[in-house]
Amino acid sequence: MKQYQLSTGEKKFIGSHLLVAILALSVGSLFGPLQAFEHAGWDIYPYIKPLIKSYYQGLTVHGVLNALVWTTFFIMGFLTFNVMFGLKRPLKNPTLNKVGFWLMVVGVVAAAIPILANQATVLFTFYPPLKANWAFYLGLTLVVVGSWVEGWGLFMTYFAWRKENPKELTPFIAFASLVTALLWQICTIGVATEILTMLLPWSLGLIAGVDPQLARTYFWFTGHPLVYFWILPAYISWYAMLPKQAGNGKMFSDSLARLSFWIFLVLSTPLGFHHQYVDPGIPPVWKFIHSMLTFSVFFPSMMTAFTVIASLEHAGRKNGGKGTFAWIGKLNWSDPSVAAQLLAGILFFFGGIGGLANASYNVNLVLHNTAFIPGHFHLTVATAVTLSFMGISYWLLPYLTGKKLWMPKLAVAQAWIWFVGMIIFSNAMHVLGLLGAPRRVPLGLAPYVPPEWNSRLFQVGVGGAILFVSGACYLTVMLMTALSKETVKEEVEVPVAESMQDLALTPVWLDRWAPWIYGALALIVLVYGPVLFDLIKNIALTSPGFRVW
Amino acid sequence: MAKKEHENNDEFRPNGTIAILVIFVITTILIWGTIYMILISRGSTI
Amino acid sequence: MSAQPMHIHPYERNWMVFSAVMLVLFATAVSVAAFGMGIQVPAPEQRVDPRIVATDPNSPWSNPGLREVSPGKYDAYILAHAIPVWEYLPKEITVPAGSSVSFYVTSSDVQHGFKIQDTNANFMVIPGQVSKLTIKFNKPGTYNYICTEYCGSGHGIMYGAIIVTP
Ligand code: HEM
Ligand SMILES: [Cu+2]
Ligand SMILES: [Cu+2]
Repeated sequence: MKQYQLSTGEKKFIGSHLLVAILALSVGSLFGPLQAFEHAGWDIYPYIKPLIKSYYQGLTVHGVLNALVWTTFFIMGFLTFNVMFGLKRPLKNPTLNKVGFWLMVVGVVAAAIPILANQATVLFTFYPPLKANWAFYLGLTLVVVGSWVEGWGLFMTYFAWRKENPKELTPFIAFASLVTALLWQICTIGVATEILTMLLPWSLGLIAGVDPQLARTYFWFTGHPLVYFWILPAYISWYAMLPKQAGNGKMFSDSLARLSFWIFLVLSTPLGFHHQYVDPGIPPVWKFIHSMLTFSVFFPSMMTAFTVIASLEHAGRKNGGKGTFAWIGKLNWSDPSVAAQLLAGILFFFGGIGGLANASYNVNLVLHNTAFIPGHFHLTVATAVTLSFMGISYWLLPYLTGKKLWMPKLAVAQAWIWFVGMIIFSNAMHVLGLLGAPRRVPLGLAPYVPPEWNSRLFQVGVGGAILFVSGACYLTVMLMTALSKETVKEEVEVPVAESMQDLALTPVWLDRWAPWIYGALALIVLVYGPVLFDLIKNIALTSPGFRVW
Repeated sequence: MAKKEHENNDEFRPNGTIAILVIFVITTILIWGTIYMILISRGSTI
Repeated sequence: MSAQPMHIHPYERNWMVFSAVMLVLFATAVSVAAFGMGIQVPAPEQRVDPRIVATDPNSPWSNPGLREVSPGKYDAYILAHAIPVWEYLPKEITVPAGSSVSFYVTSSDVQHGFKIQDTNANFMVIPGQVSKLTIKFNKPGTYNYICTEYCGSGHGIMYGAIIVTP
């Protein structure tokens, strides 16, 4: 059966997302190894001074380009693809989506200028009263607004599809992508409020000061669900695409997969205080409530683990795998897309464990702002998400360009090198954190580093070097594929796994949007309302801005 | 394993999945427990 | 789509129950530590004006340092700042072993962190707010307190020390 095809223009549109994303990753990731080398005592920053003035200017570039630009562009492109391909129809209003995309591009440029001019060395969390140039805040706003507009384009497409297919179950990849886009719309209200009511007017000189505690609270309203915005697209691929690629497996449970996306929508915003456990301005009882909600949102991830592994086991057994574990070897490890995503998934286990520890209320006292935290999120956003996206791009780029993937063997090696480098890097960072090493510090120069940390700092450098090699391999494969003259013979097949369960059994309430949306909003009002009300009532705009970099 | 189209998933018994998840849970308890013990050993903050 | 209740594979049902039990156990352990053993996170203490907190003679942070409130019990008023240089005031505190010290920390400029190595004191220092935790020092030795939030180019050199004498 022939698959639904995107038009050339549509492919170009998705491809432009991929292009910006990969450009951001290339520049952003360059600084990762430099930071790791600095930790190991191999300080390269003095040599790049004409370009990048300091460790912290580099760290700002690293955080903003990797965590914000690479992710957001890749995700918006992937979600848009999933909606069109899943619903088998073009966008309702492609111009709207294009406007959204270009707003994001303009935003990135606007934010990049002050960053490169060392006028916005505030790191990707931009905590006030560190005060960046106004163009930085304006740029971020445009990126967020652009992503909203693209989201609206997706919702309009869904409404149009629904009108044409009033009785049909929304195909899973479209459904899950729409939920992810919706989650983003809800949660970004926090950071939008922070920038529009405080940071932007303040940086323009319209107000004299800001309230840093309130700003942090707005920021983390968005900050936690942000990590779900990153990981859910990877989940979509793991649930619905990877089993097919790994050996023609089927998705184990369509209903539970949908249920877990709904739980993510409802639960991932009202728990941002787990990033503020040690903030002075928030009552512990509310922190505790958010910690309990955080434990709850771990639950759908446990469900995801089950469904994804069971679907993979289905694939492995279809390929003739036997025994309790031997089927794992029968998965299509020689397909770079499969290898990358399986390895990403394996490291995500450990990312999940670290996240659970961070989120455990007072346990956070041991870990807060130590090197454990970057250790943790390089397993999650920098591996589970990034390596999965790399894996997706190994079939998506050939699909979009009609070019054959250049040297698939190198692509497989790339995934393994990342895996090995990340194990060394992240293990060392976790241990350093437990020993008390802070994050966001050029530890190669810090005066209080005891000798016990040195062997681990060295491992950070080694891991960084290996990761650098892997990143270079990825770029080479992408670039050579895009430039290659060798085209694919047939259309690249989009891997979408069938459901093992009869879709007619998926309960109707899993395809109803309103109750879940109301539930999500109600819970936010309930667990954020009182604290935000108090903070806003007692707002003190007493912090003028500082440029201390 | 389900052969017929549009079946339930009941006949597929993912025993390997259960084994992997059990290993995961044990690892989680060990790592989480280690950090929790660090916290406990350092004592009260009020 | 179906109007029937959702079908769940028995393995998966068991896994879901088991996951829920595990999470409840973790939550219980955390609660015991918090409410049984007094290992708590900071609570709102008081609000200050960061523009004058270091200079106003009525502010304890205009004269930061240690005050003994009763035998073996101390209040430590600590000011974190990036201007004129990145440092804590005071830079050093000395207490005898067995002392219980309540730390009251605030900032006169940007956000900072405050983490006393090998203890459970680890919190944000936010201008306009006062962060407080109380730590008992039983073992003699030197405990560095280090800044754990980016506060500008000198963030990595910002630290002080508590000397616990036998
Ligand atoms: C190429 C491999 C990479 C290496 C060697 C690397 C290394 C590092 C190191 C050493 C730090 C800690 C800096 C500090 O705390 O002072 C860091 C921070 C960070 N990294 Fe990476 N990284 C890499 C790739 C990535 C990727 C792919 C992402 C995200 C998609 C990412 C996201 C971040 C973020 C968000 C931070 C925190 C920045 C901050 O504290 O403001 N990194 N990285
Ligand atoms: Cu979070
Ligand atoms: Cu500081």
